[in-house]
Amino acid sequence: MQAEITFLTQRGTAAIRRSGRVTTERLRFGRGTNNEVPLPDIRVPLSAAVLYQGQDGLFIEKSGDLPLRINGQPTQGALVRIGDEIGIGPYRILLHEPPAGLDVAFSVELARPIGDSLQRIVEHSSIGLEATHLSKRRPSWVLFLVLIAAALVAPILAYEESGRVTAPTAVSAAGGTGGAFRAAWNPGQLSNAHRYFANQCATCHRVPFTAVRDSACLGCHKGIGAHVPATQAAGTAALHADLQNRRCADCHIEHRGLDSLVLREGALCVKCHRSLAQKTPAAGILDVTAFPDGHPQFRATVVADPSGPTLAKVTLDRMPKPADHPDLVFSHKAHLRRRGFPALGIKPMVCSQCHVAEPSGQGFLPITFKGQCQSCHKLRFDIDLPWKQGPHGDDRAVAGAVEGFYAAQVVEHGVPAAAVRQEIERRLPGNASTSTPMPAAPRAWVAQKTEAALAVIFKSKEGCFYCHLADPRRGRFRVAPVRMLIRFLPMARFDHASHRALDCEDCHAARQSQSSANLLIPGIKRCTTCHGAESAAFKAETTCVSCHVFHRHELGPMRETAGVSKMTRAPEKAKR
Amino acid sequence: MSISDHAGAAAARTDRHESFLVYKRFRFLKIAVAAIAVSLALYIVDAPYGGRYGGTWAGYVLGTVAALIILWLTWFGYRKRSYLKPEAKLVAWLSAHVYLGLALIVIATLHTGFHFGRNVHTVAYVLMCLVIATGMFGVYTYGRYPQRMTENRRGLTLRGMLGRIASLDDELRSAALGVDDATAALVERSVATTQVGGSLWEQLSGQYPGCRTAAALAGLDWLDRVSVSVSPEQVRATRQLRMLLEEKALLLARARRDVTYKAMMEVWLYIHVPLSFALVAALLAHVIAVFYLW
Repeated sequence: MQAEITFLTQRGTAAIRRSGRVTTERLRFGRGTNNEVPLPDIRVPLSAAVLYQGQDGLFIEKSGDLPLRINGQPTQGALVRIGDEIGIGPYRILLHEPPAGLDVAFSVELARPIGDSLQRIVEHSSIGLEATHLSKRRPSWVLFLVLIAAALVAPILAYEESGRVTAPTAVSAAGGTGGAFRAAWNPGQLSNAHRYFANQCATCHRVPFTAVRDSACLGCHKGIGAHVPATQAAGTAALHADLQNRRCADCHIEHRGLDSLVLREGALCVKCHRSLAQKTPAAGILDVTAFPDGHPQFRATVVADPSGPTLAKVTLDRMPKPADHPDLVFSHKAHLRRRGFPALGIKPMVCSQCHVAEPSGQGFLPITFKGQCQSCHKLRFDIDLPWKQGPHGDDRAVAGAVEGFYAAQVVEHGVPAAAVRQEIERRLPGNASTSTPMPAAPRAWVAQKTEAALAVIFKSKEGCFYCHLADPRRGRFRVAPVRMLIRFLPMARFDHASHRALDCEDCHAARQSQSSANLLIPGIKRCTTCHGAESAAFKAETTCVSCHVFHRHELGPMRETAGVSKMTRAPEKAKR
Repeated sequence: MSISDHAGAAAARTDRHESFLVYKRFRFLKIAVAAIAVSLALYIVDAPYGGRYGGTWAGYVLGTVAALIILWLTWFGYRKRSYLKPEAKLVAWLSAHVYLGLALIVIATLHTGFHFGRNVHTVAYVLMCLVIATGMFGVYTYGRYPQRMTENRRGLTLRGMLGRIASLDDELRSAALGVDDATAALVERSVATTQVGGSLWEQLSGQYPGCRTAAALAGLDWLDRVSVSVSPEQVRATRQLRMLLEEKALLLARARRDVTYKAMMEVWLYIHVPLSFALVAALLAHVIAVFYLW
């Protein structure tokens, strides 16, 4: 197919014609330069239409998405004749009579040049988010500065303001604007005990960019007990020095809320305690590597020699079984008869009758004769005066007290008539004398009655020595001092109150004990039936500090606090 | 030009079109996974007394790494504006930006030791999470909209679409010369107020409730119903106008869709960037706070 194509271009009022001839099977129209009829306008697709010689004549077919119009009517494809007007976007194509020898001729004209209309649309349209009120730069800087001000500058100013306070005072943690800014830095709630001065960061954080010093803690906790005695057995000096170099905060972590601020991990203790037996053999400390496996059997502190008295630590596993020497004759078994003492009108006894819990419930009040024994074991010494009991607790005072009692009787009532009559009555012949004659003279009567009473009181198995041991070294009417211990495991802290759900006999085999020498403290196995390691899933989680105390007040203060005032922030502030 | 030159050029072209997600066979994904694995190992290995938190040695290591990554990723915002560097390098930066940014979720969370509260420290963490979340949305838009945009454009640029609409406007004005005043007024309003883009909502939603072209089509329908006696010329002209208006409406919809896709690909940055600045400020406050009150 041979075609003549005439491009018409308007230049002002003049029209410029540019003609060319093309020989091809198919005439392609479109924006692309590969088209036989290029239509260089942005509104036209790369390929818009194709014109070719069909069986019935010239046929034009749409090839892009731009509507094709023949004489104003949209179409997908149609036969065209001379005189038809083809519309492709802004272009108008008019078919002419072809010159001789050619198959087709047409003119191409840009009927609607892009111009004012496009400009108007562009002006009306705001395309892209940068054309809206949105901005990246402005909110970025605003947020940056707001956060720097609120999260950095304000808390520092608030801290500096509170920095003048070095001793905790009762100020609400939430009080004031400064409080809010200080709280903004708070990485976590303080422990309950410290929360009342949570608003005063400088109470603990005294010097910026410096880790909390011990002096801050010792400001309040002046007398906190040491862990090892300063003058202990050989080998402990290094450990002592090591402990002196540790910071309070190594073991006490704050800002953990209601969780204890005391580190509870056993590994912290085991770090030292796993090898103390080798490092400090003289201290007599056993190694612990873990709990329950790795913890030695308990060692009870008992009276080894009551005469000293000498205390000794004995392991509960020892054979023969370790014995205490309280110098008291006592049988739990005898007291815990299942039937009680019906002849005396006493019901079966229970533990709590004698073992009275401390108000805290942790331990028990000391056993006393008056409190626990006297209600049954009366100190009678005269069969004629069953209401009268001898004194208890001071064997030296017994004789004087008894003699004084009888002397008072004589002074008040005189020598009893029976004694006087006995003095003047003659004994009938054949009658044997039934008793020692009672002297009628008051002094002699008192002496005789006193002698008889003391014989009863200090008689073996009936008087004092029913429970006590005689101490002949101290004299005739002398009782060996009782050495009854309150705690047998003084290095551990056992809370009876938290074990209230158990029966006493679950741990203490008192019903079988016939001697006060028997130790009724259960061994570690009893504990480990319920208590397991820190990671135990099916037993009570137990760490070293569950039973043991680190700061032992009986050893004196852990740190010297004399230098505390040098480290406080107050003088630094005052200098400014 | 040798065969190898051809191959090299083809490889370079492929390389240039490689998505930032698969850059260098997921090089930065692998690096990010390795960083996560190392962080997890560090977190597990270090079992400090009192539990894990940001202040242990492992916590400091994780925190330092996380802070450096945050600063480095923020630097990308500046780096991508430096057009003097080679293009391929920028793809590497973006790939690293995306994968290391995602790795931050794990690294920074391990740094916290899962301790959160109402404080500056948690604000920094939450801001970081928000920045990452907006970034993830950005990656999503980059995966979703370019293809839709291509499908919608069908070889035309947005300016091409606007050009066509402008042509249609011209045709509409010509065709409306012979119609009654009411119809002409409808057409003129459509032509005079042709709008693509606009407010933030219009760009994002693609909803243009005040579109005069849609109103003109509705108006023509209404006039059809109420007009009693109409000349055949008028009927022809109205038909022509309706056809042109419908074509314009379709083109407008396409152009507006294009604008919406573009807006979706941009809008997240208007949150991502300001939040990143806020994060850098909060991070600064967090680090200074921790050591100021050590």
